[in-house]
Amino acid sequence: MSSEPIIEISGVVKTFEKGVIAALRGADLSVRAGEWVAIVGPSGCGKSTLLHLIAALDVPDCGTVRVKDHVLETKKNLSHFRARDVGLIFQLHNLLPTLTAAENVQVPMFEAGMSSRERSRRAQELLALVGLDGKEKQHPAELSGGERQRVAIARALANEPPILLADEPTGSLDSEAGRHVLDLLARLRDERGLTIVMVTHDADVAARADRIIRMLDGRVVGDETLRAAPAAASGSAH
Amino acid sequence: MSFLGFILKTLVRQKVRTWLTVLGISIGITTVVALGSVVGGLKETSAQLLRAYDSDFIVAQKGASDLSFSAVTEEEWAAVDARDDVERTVGALLHVARAGGNPYFVTVGVRAEDLAKIDLNIRDGRLIAPGATDEVMLGVRAADKLNAGVGETVELDRRTYTVVGIMKADSVWEDSGAFAPLATVQEHAKKPNVVTMIYVKVKPGLDRHEVADAIEDDNPLLSAVADVDEYSEVDQGIVIMDALNIAISALAVGIGAIGVMNTMVMSVFERTREIGILRAVGWSGNRILRMIIGESLALCLIAAAVGTALGVAASRAVLYIPAVGSLLEPAYTLDVFVRALFVAVVVALVGAVYPALRALRLTPMEALRHE
Ligand SMILES: Nc1ncnc2c1ncn2[C@@H]1O[C@H](COP(=O)(O)OP(=O)(O)OP(=O)(O)O)[C@@H](O)[C@H]1O
Ligand SMILES: [Mg+2]
Repeated sequence: MSSEPIIEISGVVKTFEKGVIAALRGADLSVRAGEWVAIVGPSGCGKSTLLHLIAALDVPDCGTVRVKDHVLETKKNLSHFRARDVGLIFQLHNLLPTLTAAENVQVPMFEAGMSSRERSRRAQELLALVGLDGKEKQHPAELSGGERQRVAIARALANEPPILLADEPTGSLDSEAGRHVLDLLARLRDERGLTIVMVTHDADVAARADRIIRMLDGRVVGDETLRAAPAAASGSAH
Repeated sequence: MSFLGFILKTLVRQKVRTWLTVLGISIGITTVVALGSVVGGLKETSAQLLRAYDSDFIVAQKGASDLSFSAVTEEEWAAVDARDDVERTVGALLHVARAGGNPYFVTVGVRAEDLAKIDLNIRDGRLIAPGATDEVMLGVRAADKLNAGVGETVELDRRTYTVVGIMKADSVWEDSGAFAPLATVQEHAKKPNVVTMIYVKVKPGLDRHEVADAIEDDNPLLSAVADVDEYSEVDQGIVIMDALNIAISALAVGIGAIGVMNTMVMSVFERTREIGILRAVGWSGNRILRMIIGESLALCLIAAAVGTALGVAASRAVLYIPAVGSLLEPAYTLDVFVRALFVAVVVALVGAVYPALRALRLTPMEALRHE
């Protein structure tokens, strides 16, 4: 009883530098709601590029990227999609250095038309959710790498998107801090039914996911299911 | 955190740069306010000059580059005075003398019988007596500056006069000067049989502009000035001041605008990656635009406040120059401040356009990949 795919990518080609660099050469991928997918592969194989297309940071040269009911194309109002439908976590330089942890979490909420009071209440809740009670007023420079990454996760959840996209979320963390972040992702998936797509080159990290997608030279070359995704809340749980 | 708070945090982050930029623009605003209020004060002085002594307009020599060079002969004056449409005239010879430490002391030579026609506000003493040669009436400011009272003597250009009265006029320049007998001033200024200008009051019920035009038609060597904008017919000073005001203000504002543009370009360029993050978490191009314009506006509004304060201070400071202080009171009219605010807003928008376009031209991806 597999639920409808929430992310559907087919035949996606993406080139850079006027076609000289082909980052994706016909990638296909389908992700069901509630799944935790790890994308692995050698450096330069197009993992980040694929993730960025799902995040609507860029659009494919050809092929289609469909996320929820949206086919992501240039002409669409992509910022609205980015604000509400996906949450994004990068490896590094993720937070705005002048803002406190709570303020960083509030940034995406500006686009959701919440009142200032609502924003700060929600930021507080989200920071508590990621285990950063009492650190609301710290600036990124005053937080450890793992704590910063958890602030980034709280920010990604700001507008309650159904999908979390993470590019090497543990890449700059030691194994202890990395494990904490992965535990948090697992909890979010279990408790909130989030769909998670995570890029990593670390086999141990990938093993935490339900399913491992292998990429090579801009294509998906392997698809291994480690465990059944929890009977996913039907596609439109959110 | 509000959106405004978010914008201000960016400015606070770069304290030194923010203040230097504010200072740069505020110099332009200072110039606008200081020059604007001083030139405005000068215009007000001219307007007061035209309507002094309850008269309707002045008549002076046509084409004089400066009113102090104007010469109207006593015959011309008599002809104007004799007209049917003229109620009364007062001839005045302006002479700049040295008095105490002030080299620009304005002495107005008038006939004693003309003084009697004017409704002068006499604070102390009396009018100059007919036939007297060495009596003066001081304006209140002059009396104060020269520290002279009725019955005491003052020295104007090394000639000694007896103070017979103290009067309060409507304008700074009259209050800062003195009335003296016309014949004495004519002799002293080596301008026999001439006055600088005639104050004309028209017969009741007549239109002052029509009378002024008629006088000009009858005597092509004279110019009748009824309004400040005609003042340039007898004095180029205001025209020159106006032009200088605009030129200097434009220059100062231009320099300020380049400063803002520079700051905004640097600030936006340095934050390219941050802008990429903002776009990645869903900020629309519109909001990025508002953020950049908001920063620029905040800078310029702070500068407008600082510059206005400095401009008022500067315009007060120039009053300590005796020539200026005895001639005018800076006019802090609303339009000076509106102009300052307008300039600040325009500078802010101009300064924000290029960096904003640049920030929006990049896709979120390009911005994020920026190191
Ligand atoms: N904006 C871009 N401009 C030019 N080339 C790009 C751009 N983005 C990606 N590339 C190139 O496309 C290829 C795929 O890049 P991508 O970042 O997707 O790889 P990756 O699998 O994430 O690698 P890594 O594991 O090192 O992060 C690389 O050769 C990269 O240099
Ligand atoms: Mg990558």
